[in-house]
Amino acid sequence: MVKMFIESFKNLFSKPETVKYPFEPFPEPEGFRGTILYNEELCIFCDKCENVCPPGAILFEIVDIETNKREYNYNPYLCIYCGACVDVCPKADEGCLTQANTRTKPLGEEVVKDKKLGYLMNRITNPKEVEKAWSELEIRAKESREKYAEYKKQQRMKKRAQAQTKKENS
Amino acid sequence: MGNKIVVPFGSQHIALPEPVSFLFDTKNEIITNVKVDVGYVHRGIEKAAITKFEFTNVSYLLTRICGFCSITHAGGYHHGIEKLLDVEAPKRAEYIRLIITELDRIHSHLLANAHVAEVAGYENLFMQGVKDREIVMDLLENITGNRIQYDIYTIGGVRRDISKETAEYIKKQLLKLKDKVLKVYDFYDTDYTFGLKTKGISYISLDDAKKYNVVGPIARASGLATDARAEFDYLPYDEVGFEIQTRTEGDVWARNIVRQMEVIHSIDLILRAIDNLPEGDIKVKYKGRPKGETFVRVEAPRGECFYYLKGNGTKVLERVRVRVPTYSNIPILKELFVGEKYSDAQPIVLSFDPCMSCTAR
Ligand code: SF4
Ligand code: SF4
Repeated sequence: MVKMFIESFKNLFSKPETVKYPFEPFPEPEGFRGTILYNEELCIFCDKCENVCPPGAILFEIVDIETNKREYNYNPYLCIYCGACVDVCPKADEGCLTQANTRTKPLGEEVVKDKKLGYLMNRITNPKEVEKAWSELEIRAKESREKYAEYKKQQRMKKRAQAQTKKENS
Repeated sequence: MGNKIVVPFGSQHIALPEPVSFLFDTKNEIITNVKVDVGYVHRGIEKAAITKFEFTNVSYLLTRICGFCSITHAGGYHHGIEKLLDVEAPKRAEYIRLIITELDRIHSHLLANAHVAEVAGYENLFMQGVKDREIVMDLLENITGNRIQYDIYTIGGVRRDISKETAEYIKKQLLKLKDKVLKVYDFYDTDYTFGLKTKGISYISLDDAKKYNVVGPIARASGLATDARAEFDYLPYDEVGFEIQTRTEGDVWARNIVRQMEVIHSIDLILRAIDNLPEGDIKVKYKGRPKGETFVRVEAPRGECFYYLKGNGTKVLERVRVRVPTYSNIPILKELFVGEKYSDAQPIVLSFDPCMSCTAR
């Protein structure tokens, strides 16, 4: 009984175990697997990260078919933070694709904005639109691939035809 | 005798951490018959694993079968695929795998015991258990970068190393945890009221345990010495001196005691593993694609988990089959309810520590 009272008394004045997050900061430890950050200038557009990503949270959209210009899009709310994309990126050491050791802010009042998060996240302002915009992008990205493949095929055919006519002329 | 009344327990219930449904036929509070439905969280993971994912990253999917046993599923898959590809992980990687697996077991067991204490009426003990568990969660976050989904396994090794400072930190924290766990163990062992609530409830005899093929801490609480860690050589458990922990009482109380004993033993195993951490690489390269079939047995916190893999030389596997420990324990669970009071149903279910997201997948 006496022991119990001493224990309760001690507990009354000891520090609480819990952290009052989000009113207090709750720092992540060193090496925490957080947001994926991208640097377009270093990218060689090998598409390895897109192919490896388990939930498909990285998508490249081909915006200009003739020059094969691609835009990187990343959905931090779909990402499972596994870090597989950073593991496969051939330019990861230089800092093309890195994993920050901080969490992405939850999708609350506003969408997080950062140039390193890719194009789509910077184009949306209303958090309610993220899901819709992403599913539209998925369709668009797939179509752009098909169009690009089609364009390539035609280019190849044209070249072959040109070569043929050249041969015949000479 | 009163009339027969059907009492539903689950799929949503205040004392159930998992979506499982029991329909009890009761007569005067005594359960006479029970129907179980385990399929509430079916997500089609086995199908997705053989259609949508290549063998290199199917483990990211499989580890997400369940939060508690994520490392078990990673282990089951990787030990299997390494057999098919004929690669062997370096010693250091094996030790790191062992450390994470045991840390995972500790946090799972601590929460399971805390849950039993809670439904037995010890809310404070529940908080105590969860508070202690937080130490382990912090350690795991420190080593792997995430609290639940460690993703530390990779084919041919591990993805992250344990540095010297981290090793020291783990040791310090684990010694602190051991003190606390021993205190709680003492309480489970000697407290009179806790004993009244749990001793003799849902008794499983050794014969029954054998007959119904019970696995995990439930089997070991009945004196059946079965543990994949000792029977199946997948991690260097021999080298760190693993011993099977058993009791003979076979009731809810004994299950808690066995789990608590395993927590203490796991702490010892980790401490020994850290002291003897071999030097060297943490990863080796592999070549080729999986061909042929294989099976693996690994010990999840809840018992033996079985993996069957079949590859056909392409990037996508032909079959992935998982049999989880909770599934093996359902037949005896059904049997146990009959004849018990309805008020004891909660401690019985929770002493089994069921994991439905594993069972339904
Ligand atoms: S961390 Fe994983 S889920 Fe997130 S973008 Fe990279 S590969 Fe995809
Ligand atoms: S893997 Fe790296 S280099 Fe390749 S496309 Fe992705 S970000 Fe660019």
